[in-house]
Amino acid sequence: MDTILLVDDDPAILEIFTVCLEMDGYKVLVAADGSACLNLLNTHNPDLIFLDLMMEPMDGWEILIAIRKNASSRYIPVVILTGKPPVPEDILQYGGLIEEYIVKPVSFPVFIESVHRNIEHDRNLRREIKQMKDNVQDPALLAEYTHLLRFVRVAYKLKKRLMDPQWTDRIPIKNQEERLQWVHKKIGFPYPLPGQDEEK
Amino acid sequence: MPQASVFIVEDELIEAQDISQTLIDQGYSVAGIARTGELALEALIKKHPNLVLMDMHLAGTMDGVDTAERIRALYKIPVIFLTAYSDETLLERAKITEPYGYVLKPFDERELHSAIEMALYKHRTEEQAQENERTIRILANAIPDAIMLLDHNMRIIALNDAMARRFGYNTNVFYDLSIPFDQKGLFASLQSPIKEILLSGRPVRFEEKNGDEWFEISLIRITGTEGQSPMIFIQYHDITDHKRFEEQLKAGGITQIEHNMEQFQILNDQIRNPLQAIMGYVDLNCVHYRERIIDQIGVIDTLVDRLDHGWVESEKVRRVLLRHYHYDPDDVPDTEPGAGQGKLT
Repeated sequence: MDTILLVDDDPAILEIFTVCLEMDGYKVLVAADGSACLNLLNTHNPDLIFLDLMMEPMDGWEILIAIRKNASSRYIPVVILTGKPPVPEDILQYGGLIEEYIVKPVSFPVFIESVHRNIEHDRNLRREIKQMKDNVQDPALLAEYTHLLRFVRVAYKLKKRLMDPQWTDRIPIKNQEERLQWVHKKIGFPYPLPGQDEEK
Repeated sequence: MPQASVFIVEDELIEAQDISQTLIDQGYSVAGIARTGELALEALIKKHPNLVLMDMHLAGTMDGVDTAERIRALYKIPVIFLTAYSDETLLERAKITEPYGYVLKPFDERELHSAIEMALYKHRTEEQAQENERTIRILANAIPDAIMLLDHNMRIIALNDAMARRFGYNTNVFYDLSIPFDQKGLFASLQSPIKEILLSGRPVRFEEKNGDEWFEISLIRITGTEGQSPMIFIQYHDITDHKRFEEQLKAGGITQIEHNMEQFQILNDQIRNPLQAIMGYVDLNCVHYRERIIDQIGVIDTLVDRLDHGWVESEKVRRVLLRHYHYDPDDVPDTEPGAGQGKLT
């Protein structure tokens, strides 16, 4: 049974997603702020974390950094679940550290689909990386690969939203995308890197 | 024109009566006769003649020149000297008292008459000129701006008290050609505008900060009448209050807008939470979540109230900005000191 950690300061949000996840057979942990979240991660090892952004005293990005700094939680996939859509600056800074971001409100089917997809993505990636490990002399290259893979995926999502004419912000992706292609080849994956536009 | 009155200072009684009679014959009135300078000065306290006829040689401690000097200083009554002979040293001294004329004794009646008329005319003209100067001066000092007029050789033709204070004088240097106009220190910034305006003739206006004070400095070239060289009019208008208001407005307005932006961000996030809750309850498709849904709708309503409040605050800033930049907002502005003056309509 997979475990999901929900971090949000709104009790109604924690309740509603708990019900949703439990109905789908998940075990659910909840934390109302950053320190509760980090304490839980000392004793638990969830398969996925949903993280709100606007919280006090630590905001979501600060909690994210703390999760990534902690050796026991470093590799747990994180999805941002927020009412405040990220801006390009946020994604440029943190996009490589998260699987995805979801803007509230979201329907149960879409939410559950995201849980399945992100857990599966993470497992596949771990397996592939494990298989390729012997090919690579420099382990930093693998870390860079996952970072770039996440960044490009998240940035494309933001880019789609910015296509709407009311937004004047732009997010530069090209350099990282080219670098990702290069790293992918360098590691020696037996299949080509799937294009972002084909992804759902 | 009423007959002019003449006061006679003459130590020889017969001579004095002779003059007196001549004056009466010519249509003047005689305000009095004094034998010495001291007596004359005493009598003039009460009498206010239009003119004094003064014998240069007088018995007593004061001679005619001394007495004329005192009269000039005390009463500003024009004085004509009577003298029997031309004593060079006496005449030199007399010059200093700026006499209005000389009449040689024994006097010629017509000569006396024309000397008196000339003196009266000259005095009237001078008084008129002084009156004109006073009027211009009152006007020049009535505005708080510091102003001055330069000739094309950079000499000061005139300046008001406010400008005099900028030069470090107390006051009373309204017309003083001896002040050299040094384009240094306080006036360093005038150097190139002056050159520019003498060449182009186009008015120059710029702003300058001096310590805590702000000035708007204007230069206008004034073309003289035919044959006259152009002059330059320079004005320092204090715009410190205006600038301060502008800075406050900028700071206050930006602070308010930043505050609103922050509020909008927080609100966006907070409004989506109850929406998420409602969406979840609906997905659960369960009638006993009805109360929860109504609670969450109440939360949204409170948040939208805060948006309304943010809108009202933004509108206040908008109106102040519009009024300050001279647009006419579509309402009657509530009066606020320093705002709203000089609308462009």
